Amino acid sequence: MSSLAQEVALGKSLAAGLWCIGQIAIEPQENGRFALNHREDAGRNDLIAHTQPEKAAEIARFDDAGKYRPLKTAPNLRRGWRLVLESVAELRVALDLFYPGRLDVFVAWENNALSATPLRETLARQTGMYRVAAKIGEEEANTLVGNFCASDGGCLRTIMWRRDENGTTPSTLLPAEKFDPRYDQTGLGETVIPLLCQEACNLLVAEARKSVQGQDRRGQ
Amino acid sequence: MISRSCSALLIVGHGSTVNPDSSAPTLAHAAEIRRRGIFADVACCFWKEEPSLRDALFFFRDPGIREVYVVPNFISEGYFTRTVIPRELELTGAGTTRHGVQVWKYCDPVGNHESMTERLLQRAREVAPGAAEAETSLLIVGHGTELNDNSAVAAKEQVEKIRALDRYAAVLNVYMEEPPLVSDWLKLTGTKNVVVVPFFISDGLHSYEDIPALLGIESGSDRGRHELHGRSLFYSTAIGTDPKFADVIIEQAKAFDSRKPVLQSAS
Repeated sequence: MSSLAQEVALGKSLAAGLWCIGQIAIEPQENGRFALNHREDAGRNDLIAHTQPEKAAEIARFDDAGKYRPLKTAPNLRRGWRLVLESVAELRVALDLFYPGRLDVFVAWENNALSATPLRETLARQTGMYRVAAKIGEEEANTLVGNFCASDGGCLRTIMWRRDENGTTPSTLLPAEKFDPRYDQTGLGETVIPLLCQEACNLLVAEARKSVQGQDRRGQ
Repeated sequence: MISRSCSALLIVGHGSTVNPDSSAPTLAHAAEIRRRGIFADVACCFWKEEPSLRDALFFFRDPGIREVYVVPNFISEGYFTRTVIPRELELTGAGTTRHGVQVWKYCDPVGNHESMTERLLQRAREVAPGAAEAETSLLIVGHGTELNDNSAVAAKEQVEKIRALDRYAAVLNVYMEEPPLVSDWLKLTGTKNVVVVPFFISDGLHSYEDIPALLGIESGSDRGRHELHGRSLFYSTAIGTDPKFADVIIEQAKAFDSRKPVLQSAS
């Protein structure tokens, strides 16, 4: 099978010195191998080693307390593991399970092919039980995004979308670096492959729905 | 036609924000298909998990990939396959051309495939290997009408097909939320053996907790045999956890080409 464009792009990113993604450190090994671990586990020699790229899905599924992680870019990746992979192809599969979809979005951004969707457009598109989410007020949306998407405890993605088509900032409660792809959202200050967010996730849409429903109930 | 150099596969699942097992079968099927090397690339996307369907719009940007087979890992056609998936993936019909040269082919959901009847029968045999079919009632559990989809209709069709084979003493549809209720299994059946197969894509809260509670077996208990009220009750895992679903996904991709020759030429 030929090398896919994404694998080539990943190889280039590594060659350019981007050895971190989210909470993961990627370490080059001999014979084209890579070793991955939690960035805060650097130097530990008691890590449990794995070799299957698909193991990443299992590692990413629960946090250290055993709680399910519905948002894989939340800053609560489990620690204590080490994943040794044979090739860039395996690395790509593993990273896609740790941070699903982020690599493709990053490659699209690097190729100037990433289009971001404003939050209002995402909400207006919803049908069924999520249709009501579009009713969220400006102030409520500002607060919701400010809390839900914050890198400190919320989500490590770099927000690329705006709140509306006029370019309103997603939330005035978030610092400017939350929108800067060069910034390491973990706060560790390293050069990273950013976890770019081109459109509000379903979890945020669900929270917007809850916010509207809560307000409706309060208004009754 | 599927080519390992220029065809990609996108499996679309529902996923869940609360149930860690919801996406597991879809990911496992993707891993198995990837291992077989049939497609140049294999990816998943989910309605309620990552990557989202919107993320998938940025997949398969390799210029060598000329076609993307989109297979919904859903038990039936309905709200998700008709409204949510086309909307989120910006599909304009059975075939959608992207970037000038790439065609996204929207395939039927796995539950529609003709092999589903055999998969259900196989599941029933696996969970109750020693049970004589003539002395066994087979219950196919569907969700019911809570969701705006056709899963109940699809489950009914499967029961009719299995019943027509005349192998089991009885073949019945049961539902969690509408009659005939799964909780009435004792009244609904008169055989020594009763086999229960959930017609779901994954082992979620329904099949771990709700259905066992309705059957009267311990919540979260192991699948397999339970002796209750003088009967042998065999409870299977959800049909979608069957590893053979990987074959069904591939078959649904192949079926697109055999059923829609006009669209192929348009690509």
